[in-house]
Amino acid sequence: MFLTLLSHQWRSELRSSVFQKSIALNIILGLFIVYFGGIFLFLGFYLDDILAKIYPGQNVVTIFNGMLLVYFLIDLFFRFLMQELPVLAIQPYLHLPISKNKLVHYVLVKSVPSFFNLLPLLFFVPFMVTSVIPAFGSGMAIVWLLTLVVVTLLNNFLLLYFKRQMSNKPLYTLAFGITIVSLMLLDYLDVLQLQVISQAIFGAILVQPWLVIVPVLLLAGAYLLNFYFLKAHTYPEELRVHKAKEATGGDIAFLNRFGELGKLIELELKLIWRHKRTKSIIIMSAIFLFYGFIFYGKGNYMDGFGILIFVGIILSGMPMFNYGQFLPGWQSGHFDGLLTQRISPYQFLSAKYWMMVPVMVLAFILTLPYGFFGYKILLINAAALLYNVGVNVFIVFFFSVYNTQKLDLSKSASFNWQGVGASKFVMMLPLMVLPILIYLPFGLLDVPYAGIAAIGGLGLLGIIFQKQLLTFSANRFTAHKYKLAAGYRQS
Amino acid sequence: MLTINNLQKVYNGTTVVNIPELTITAGESVGLVGNNGAGKTTLFRMILDLIRPSKGEVFSKGISVMESGDWKNYTGSYLDEGFLIDYLTTEEYFKFIGDLNGLSGGDVAERLAPFADLFNGEILGQRKYIRDFSKGNQKKIGVAAAVLSNPELLILDEPFANLDPSSQIRLKNLLKNLREEKQMTMLISSHDLSHVIDVCERIVILEKGQLVQDMATNENTLRELETYFTV
Repeated sequence: MFLTLLSHQWRSELRSSVFQKSIALNIILGLFIVYFGGIFLFLGFYLDDILAKIYPGQNVVTIFNGMLLVYFLIDLFFRFLMQELPVLAIQPYLHLPISKNKLVHYVLVKSVPSFFNLLPLLFFVPFMVTSVIPAFGSGMAIVWLLTLVVVTLLNNFLLLYFKRQMSNKPLYTLAFGITIVSLMLLDYLDVLQLQVISQAIFGAILVQPWLVIVPVLLLAGAYLLNFYFLKAHTYPEELRVHKAKEATGGDIAFLNRFGELGKLIELELKLIWRHKRTKSIIIMSAIFLFYGFIFYGKGNYMDGFGILIFVGIILSGMPMFNYGQFLPGWQSGHFDGLLTQRISPYQFLSAKYWMMVPVMVLAFILTLPYGFFGYKILLINAAALLYNVGVNVFIVFFFSVYNTQKLDLSKSASFNWQGVGASKFVMMLPLMVLPILIYLPFGLLDVPYAGIAAIGGLGLLGIIFQKQLLTFSANRFTAHKYKLAAGYRQS
Repeated sequence: MLTINNLQKVYNGTTVVNIPELTITAGESVGLVGNNGAGKTTLFRMILDLIRPSKGEVFSKGISVMESGDWKNYTGSYLDEGFLIDYLTTEEYFKFIGDLNGLSGGDVAERLAPFADLFNGEILGQRKYIRDFSKGNQKKIGVAAAVLSNPELLILDEPFANLDPSSQIRLKNLLKNLREEKQMTMLISSHDLSHVIDVCERIVILEKGQLVQDMATNENTLRELETYFTV
């Protein structure tokens, strides 16, 4: 029975629309996994050399043990941000003659083979082979590895429990978070030396291997905690993390002044505000405002122009790239309804245009302080803003007619590949590379500022011919609308 | 009002809809019946310009629906939940539809007044998003939104499905009133034979995409239809 359930799970992953529809995406995902896996493996094999160089004369294993506790705390933090709760998968089984215990075990065991639990192994195992086995023998090393695996799983189950409490007992979750943060803070303030504690804990395992029983017991405790909680709450409406919420937010009176255009913008703003996935795009875009710090102020980047143009395009354009790459898929759920309403394609697209332009201008204004790194940055960013508003928006519109995948807005955005297709990657390239190509001939002729002017001028041209470009985009939209609507109807 | 000319839709070699000719005159109410897969929804989607026909055209007031969007000004429609903007509250949705049709808040309230019975106090003033309503209530919202603009042509796909018996009867009376008082042209598909006969004066049977019967309703229609669908 248990295996049948697991095989269903496997099939649901395999048959999910993401895997079925896009080979290109799978290849890219695969490359990502190979890349990160490779980094971890490499680190695992060479960590002993690296540590020996940084801390000469000290025992590599001791140093490694000292870092483990901090590592596990960071691991918890990332899990909190990104790990999903496996919940609703049991809904189709609840009415069938399968015992509750089995279903709950299934939900819990299902969480074990995840990215978060498997990736560290790539790192622990090579380190064990290169450093722990030679020093302590293979028997001890295996116990040591077992401890690490057990603690990883302990993290897994602790997080599942506390994240699940978020909906009905948020104080639990808060207390949990505060404990972890204060531990790290105490370490930072040198009140508590996590490194020493960590060395003591994991070092003890290597001396007294029977101590492995402690983490194993803890793991069992965490598992049972989850088990009894879930068993008492096998009702989907209690397990669901986000419940039916009360409607929030009223009309935006200011937008009424703009007639139907204002209505459409208001509609789209509500869409963004009332869905998880769109809200996380706002957060992502806000984070990207700090992107400049990576490059600005560093001599080798500041002397050239190419990188700075790229950064400028990203700074003011990122909100639009993030949101625009899925257009009009955000509205896939009610696309048929929009098509049968009195909304012309021109209105539809210009509402999107006038929603994105103020956002880009705002991003530009917020990034003005980067001007302290040099007036050159201001100049480049202004040109990039013009280019984004005048050219890139229309490139986004041009590619948007290929977004025929329905978007599921109820899921969150981290690790959410639903609705991501090859066209997204193809689209991002011209958005960022074209302006650099425009600059290139000027750069080679050694008249860089003329190149910046060319980028800005092109954007200005786009703004002047905005009506024509919108009409062109609207015609393209009309020609492709059947394909879009058909795509969105398939769930 | 509506003229269908040699309309065909073919998916991977199978013809789903094939209607050589069908004319619906203004003020007529037409019921479309047929088993699952008969092509009712596909036909509706082609009439609403949501699917491109493989062949032929649909003319609304003599103008091809594909060429001009003018038909949207006098056509109200509700096919499925895909027509609802589900992250809005009911009021916001009605207001949005009202704004698109140039209606004031008072107009919207006035036009929704006849729906009070059908809504049964469960639709308005709920402070929740449309996506959190039950299927039946979503259908009521969709039908009300379609009627809100006081359209000359009303197109509904299975309006009675998912509704409780009282709501079915209330909706039926509502549609009858609309027909009698406003001379609304209607095109309604349904699996419920007795309801559709009550509302519509003309019944069209679709089978495997073909128009097999076209008749005016009289006291014998229900029996005829039941005989037809008995296998």
